[in-house]
Amino acid sequence: MDRFVVSCNHSKTNRLARRRALWLSIAVLCCTLTAPAQKSTQVGDTGAPFSTRATHLLGFANARNNGTGILSVQDQSLQFRQNGKPRTKVKIALLRDISLGEENKQVGGLPMTLGETAAPFGSGRVVSLFAHKKYDTLTLEYVDADGGIHGAIFQLKNGQAEIVKNELMAQGVTISSRHVQSAQQGAAEVGHEDK
Amino acid sequence: MRTNRCSLLIAFVAAFLAVTFALPCRLPGQTPSAQPSGRSGKSATQWSVQVDRVDAGNLDLSHSFQIAIYENLVVELHKTQRFQQVFRAGDVRAGEFPNLLVLKTAVEKYTPGSETRRAVTTVSGATKLAVQSQLLTREGEVVFERTVNGDVRFFGSNLRVTHNLAHNIAKAIKQSYLSGSEHQPRWSPGQL
Repeated sequence: MDRFVVSCNHSKTNRLARRRALWLSIAVLCCTLTAPAQKSTQVGDTGAPFSTRATHLLGFANARNNGTGILSVQDQSLQFRQNGKPRTKVKIALLRDISLGEENKQVGGLPMTLGETAAPFGSGRVVSLFAHKKYDTLTLEYVDADGGIHGAIFQLKNGQAEIVKNELMAQGVTISSRHVQSAQQGAAEVGHEDK
Repeated sequence: MRTNRCSLLIAFVAAFLAVTFALPCRLPGQTPSAQPSGRSGKSATQWSVQVDRVDAGNLDLSHSFQIAIYENLVVELHKTQRFQQVFRAGDVRAGEFPNLLVLKTAVEKYTPGSETRRAVTTVSGATKLAVQSQLLTREGEVVFERTVNGDVRFFGSNLRVTHNLAHNIAKAIKQSYLSGSEHQPRWSPGQL
């Protein structure tokens, strides 16, 4: 009889321990999943330099067009560093406007395009149907020492442009309201591309 | 005697043909000094140009396209080597130049395309732009006005349309005099 009572209590304790372990593992899992997001939002608060990979399409200081590099916000300036090239930068105080957009591009560049063209029986077209990817575009307007307006366009991974924009806004850059509409239109364009 | 006459006639006909074809057509009242001095005109007026921001009007043209047209225009006008200086909008140095033309660009038509559709179908999905380009003097007189088109039909991203458009605008400005511009130009790209 005593043995039965002991085993019953033991199984209850086991069940409780299992439950606790389950809750603990769920909590750890949640913390792990939210950690990257926490990291990205903390960047602006701590003042640590923010950087992300980007492709410079045109217009930024003396950077080479269509060059890939690291876009960073540090030392009160927006900097772009390409591999093996001196970094180019624009002071944040000179930035006048930022706008975001979305583009749907074919992946693989010219080699892929040529490969698709050369593929027999038009099979390259089928590949083209799936070989495209959405990108964010970050458009900046800034002025030089003489007051001349410059424009620059960067291409970033989907979702990254918003983070850069927030980072720049945290540093005091303002956005013209007219671009809110155009950003919506840009999204509509991507929708048009998806059709 | 007969041979002499014949050779004289041949010489006369040859001289007439030479005069007719070798000399350029000239209007009766046109004197050679009235013609433009052409590219050799170092003493001719040196014009500079200021590129104004692109006016999208009521069209839904994204900001990146406007900026890309503007930036490509600055680059392409530099490439023409017809202007003494190419200024950006807002550049305070432009005020110091007496012979300044302002390039205004207004978007008239925009057809959004799709790179994917171009790659898949080849014949559809072209991105097209049509703009009205004007060169104005400081006094507001229009010296050049043209509707220019740009498109990307086969290869390249949608943004490439802005490069093609800017290239066409610069080409039109460069050739405006050579093609017999409808405006009697007080300026001439040949003189720049």
